[in-house]
Amino acid sequence: MMIKYIDWKVTIPRIVAAVPIAILVFIPVFSTSRDTLSIIILSGVWVIAAMGFAMILRTGQFSMGQAAFMAIGGYASAILTVKMGWSFWPSFFMAGVISGIIALIIGSVVLRVGNIYFSIITLSFGEIVRILAQNLEGITHGARGLIPPSPEPIVLGSFEINFDASVVPYYYFMILLVAITSLVFWQINRSRLGGTFFSLAANQILAEHQGIYLMKYRVIAFTVAGIFTGFAGAFYAHFLEIITPYMLGLWESIQIMIMSIVGGVSSLVAGPLVGAVLLKVLSVYLSRLPVYGIHALLFGGAVVLVLVFLPKGTGLIDLWKKFWRKVFNEPEWYEIPSIDE
Amino acid sequence: MPPAAIWMDGLIQSCIYMTMAFGMVLVFSILGILNWAHGQFYMFGGIVVYYAVAAAGIPFPISLLISAVAVGVLGMLVEKLIIERVNVPIYGPLYVGVATISLIFFFEGAASMLFGMQDKGLSMVYPGVLDLGVFSVSYQKIGVVIFTVIVMVAMYIVLNLTKIGLAIRAVSQEPVAANLYGISVKRISVIVMGIGCAMAAMAGSIMAPIYPVNPFMGRIPMIMSLLAIVIGGIGSLTGAIVGGLILGFLNSVIAYKISYFSEVVLFILVILILLVRPQGLFGASLK
Repeated sequence: MMIKYIDWKVTIPRIVAAVPIAILVFIPVFSTSRDTLSIIILSGVWVIAAMGFAMILRTGQFSMGQAAFMAIGGYASAILTVKMGWSFWPSFFMAGVISGIIALIIGSVVLRVGNIYFSIITLSFGEIVRILAQNLEGITHGARGLIPPSPEPIVLGSFEINFDASVVPYYYFMILLVAITSLVFWQINRSRLGGTFFSLAANQILAEHQGIYLMKYRVIAFTVAGIFTGFAGAFYAHFLEIITPYMLGLWESIQIMIMSIVGGVSSLVAGPLVGAVLLKVLSVYLSRLPVYGIHALLFGGAVVLVLVFLPKGTGLIDLWKKFWRKVFNEPEWYEIPSIDE
Repeated sequence: MPPAAIWMDGLIQSCIYMTMAFGMVLVFSILGILNWAHGQFYMFGGIVVYYAVAAAGIPFPISLLISAVAVGVLGMLVEKLIIERVNVPIYGPLYVGVATISLIFFFEGAASMLFGMQDKGLSMVYPGVLDLGVFSVSYQKIGVVIFTVIVMVAMYIVLNLTKIGLAIRAVSQEPVAANLYGISVKRISVIVMGIGCAMAAMAGSIMAPIYPVNPFMGRIPMIMSLLAIVIGGIGSLTGAIVGGLILGFLNSVIAYKISYFSEVVLFILVILILLVRPQGLFGASLK
């Protein structure tokens, strides 16, 4: 029998990283306070959205309309449950599907233009979604919004998971959702597909000359991001039990963007996760400060400081790798000198 | 046919969007980035003028200049301390975008702490109404139009007839070659950022007697001037003026006809223009 060689330089950071994740999973055992759990649940929603953004950024495009896909998912699920009388689970599933289909259609039209033009097109798309949600009274109830019900209880023999009684079921549902999303994105990142995505961002012309069809891979990334963002939006609407046009607009898209950039886009899963959780928790606690306006001031200031003082092109997650390189006394990576200057 | 007052309102709005879009295009053509916090410089312009006129009692034309200089210096600081450090080669525009978007939160928070949340308004500086028989228009609004024309002409003179304008045009065309000829690109970037922010501040301060001043007044003009430079072509000064005019009238005259749907028309127009002609109506393609 072969003895498997354990590389401690890989294993120890993984074990240390597993500790906070394990703590997160077992939080409801120690505290079932609605307050604490809600913060984590809501940051989970933004984690998924930020991962979607990072996935699109992997192909070199930055979308400024990710909150629109959350709104589409939320409205799809809300309309199916409230207006059509579907039950929660199928409509939750359909929310992702509808959001994915819309992302596919929009993506295959607008992804032909890249760079800043794509950002502005997605920004306009997000605003169109908001204006339509605000004004199509018959379908979306306009500015009053829709009130989707909470999920039906799941009966497992004598045991019943009741979503109305406490937030713990929501908590595990969210953890499951984040886990599935992370798994999918992680696998995509590891696979040939992830490499292709990265090649599009790194050198578009070279990638095209290697026979990579640009549009196909951009649309794939956009659609995958759209599907999961739709799920996040549906969850958001059902957890808060309301969805209005103002909840998911341009400023939320911008927040998604800030979260994944601050977290770091060098990894598709860990960066957005760290960024979204940290910034969401930070902004929740800041908004409890008594002085009005200090919340926005400190939030903006913190993000600017992170961007200015971190090494360029990296996020918070890269500090983690750097820390472990210091600990194991590994040589610094050779950095490719930039072409400019 | 909408009433003449609607057309006048469209013209006034075009004036703000034009002035702001002009500054944004100038910054974009030199630094290669979009300054998302441009609307907040507009807001600071309004606030400075409000304090200068209402609290300190300085005459309006002089306080316009004061606000332009003060906010211009603020813009230079932002360029020097933040944008220059964040603007890295490949993902540069993205990182600068995120940094300036965070500055939106920072500036709005600072303004609402110092200035307060409520709307404040200056009284009309030039009271009185010009009666043209068919319709009447206040001197204040005429003042806005004249001021905008003066700013545009001044910018034309600065860019085309002075040495610094020559340097700016050289850097926008060929940064490397300009550097070789002894123009400091970094210094030009700081100056251009100052000019751009000063223009936003002037737009904000000339509007202070007409629209109420509050910490969040910069958001909509920012988006609108962004769309204006997209329609006109990112990097084209003519495009900024034409785009501003189109948007101003679209927001008032078309909105008079079809209410909220004008916003949808606006965004669909932007998407169509970008899909068919990504460089905009007047712009050259990006490098």
